[in-house]
Amino acid sequence: MKTSTPLAPSRAFAGTAAFLWTEVLVQGNERMAMLTSMVVPGIILVFVEILNPALIGVALVGAILFSTFTMGQRVLNEAAYLRIDHKANDLYLAGPMTPEAYFLGMSVGIMIIYLAPTVFLGVLAVVVVPLSLGTGLLLFALAAAVWLFAASTGYIFSTFFLDNRAIWAYSSLFFNVFGVLAPVFYPLGLFPSALRPIVLLMPPSAAAALVQSVIGAATLAPWQTALAAGGLVAETVAVFVFAIYWARRTVMAD
Amino acid sequence: MSGEALRSVDLRKIYQSRGTPPVEALTGVSMEVHRGERVALLGRNGAGKTTFLKIASTLLRPTSGSVEVFGFDIARSPEKARPYIAVVPQEGKPFFHLTPREQIYTYLRARGFARETAKARTEESLERMGLNEFADRLSVTLSGGQRQRTMVATVIATEAPLLFLDEPTIGMDPFARREVWSSLRSLTQKGSTILLTTHYLDEAEVLSNRLYIVERGAVLSAGTAEELKASVGGTLKVLIPSGAVQVEQFRSFGTCVTDGLSLTVIVNPHTLGDVMEIVERSEMTATVGPVTLEEAFLRAVGRSINED
Ligand SMILES: Nc1ncnc2c1ncn2[C@@H]1O[C@H](COP(=O)(O)OP(=O)(O)OP(=O)(O)O)[C@@H](O)[C@H]1O
Ligand SMILES: [Mg+2]
Repeated sequence: MKTSTPLAPSRAFAGTAAFLWTEVLVQGNERMAMLTSMVVPGIILVFVEILNPALIGVALVGAILFSTFTMGQRVLNEAAYLRIDHKANDLYLAGPMTPEAYFLGMSVGIMIIYLAPTVFLGVLAVVVVPLSLGTGLLLFALAAAVWLFAASTGYIFSTFFLDNRAIWAYSSLFFNVFGVLAPVFYPLGLFPSALRPIVLLMPPSAAAALVQSVIGAATLAPWQTALAAGGLVAETVAVFVFAIYWARRTVMAD
Repeated sequence: MSGEALRSVDLRKIYQSRGTPPVEALTGVSMEVHRGERVALLGRNGAGKTTFLKIASTLLRPTSGSVEVFGFDIARSPEKARPYIAVVPQEGKPFFHLTPREQIYTYLRARGFARETAKARTEESLERMGLNEFADRLSVTLSGGQRQRTMVATVIATEAPLLFLDEPTIGMDPFARREVWSSLRSLTQKGSTILLTTHYLDEAEVLSNRLYIVERGAVLSAGTAEELKASVGGTLKVLIPSGAVQVEQFRSFGTCVTDGLSLTVIVNPHTLGDVMEIVERSEMTATVGPVTLEEAFLRAVGRSINED
């Protein structure tokens, strides 16, 4: 038979690069959307600058973490929209491309498109805070972990919806509660101490607390540092592994 | 890769969703699609066509029964069947912010085709589906039929061994439909196998080697278009616009169907003369045409509905 389709079961992650590129092309046409991703962190930064300029460094770190966290919201919206409105899952997954490639390609593609504002904030942080090389690398690693956590969570959530309109409410609730209400843009010390263990277990606020402790904006007890760091790594790995499992599991609907 | 392109045995599907009563969409479907065949599934809305296609293409879990694609059980090892298949989903849409050229090319790349192959196949598919004129316009600016052509072009370009097409020509003009037909024919000549659904019975008749009529989740009848038409009881239909009142005169010649004032009599060539003589004697008019798949479908499904 004349065909150049791979005829053995596909390698894990087969198709990731190609689908990533597809998603970059798809998202790249939404230039305004890229700018709108700056609206919330931009407004918060302006408020902080007006109300308490001393906290602008903390707020900038928060803005960077928030920007990678909300990439997960875009994955959630995009994955649900493509599945429900375009039947893209049926088109792509009934074929040799692997489900994990679909999930990861979409997530990385979205990340690349929305990366520019994050990089801009990063440059600003280096100048304003100022960040040492070590702290900068720590922030980079934490922001990457927050991204992976959020993208995985977003993809998993997306599989539960039958209608796009139902998503907006839940997704903005989730991403604003954990990305804005929790101490991401402001010091952990201003958050009720009884509730701190909870926010130390949520990746964006955990990452923020770790950077804050390094730049001297928060004091963390050793157990708190361990909780934040251990929790962040464990949750990110667990959610990512589960997202891959779930992406494979949900190709075939019940 | 071994076995039939597709074989389903006693396939059942019950949709269970919370808060709503379960829906029994397939009640035991057994069918085979041989390699190189073009097979059409016909059936009323809700008959279970999409459900069958989704299960067979590894996108929906069957409740019981089995489907094998080239010998691979789709429920037990879907990842083994997937490299061989491609799907045009019902109501699918191309990515709005890609052009048809980008859509086809990136899809082929995601399926693992090398750059050069993907490029060549993309151009071939655009040409074949008459998409060249708008190949570089974003799909969001295309008309409904142009988008659907893009979807079909995307999937046809894979030349996958087994293609599932759920209402592929919906919304297409008669020229575009013919382009799809000829593309599908040439695909099967190259060795692919095709299972499609359609509500256009003329399309089903000219395009498919065999047909299955599905009704309420079960196969009602199967065969070639000629075999299905033979079940109608004649090869010609005589349409008498004002014949309904005189239906009794015609009963002995063949099946009579009234619709308002008009009467259709299904006859064979050797009785046509007698029927036309009555028409003339009664000073009525009539038109004669061949029996089509439409009559076979209406008769098979209609009879099944009337049995309840
Ligand atoms: N997700 C679902 N949950 C519950 N019932 C469903 C679901 N999808 C389909 N059904 C039901 O299953 C039956 C078969 O639907 P299916 O989509 O297979 O029909 P179809 O033959 O493709 O119809 P059409 O010609 O309208 O496309 C219908 O009664 C439909 O309402
Ligand atoms: Mg259908």
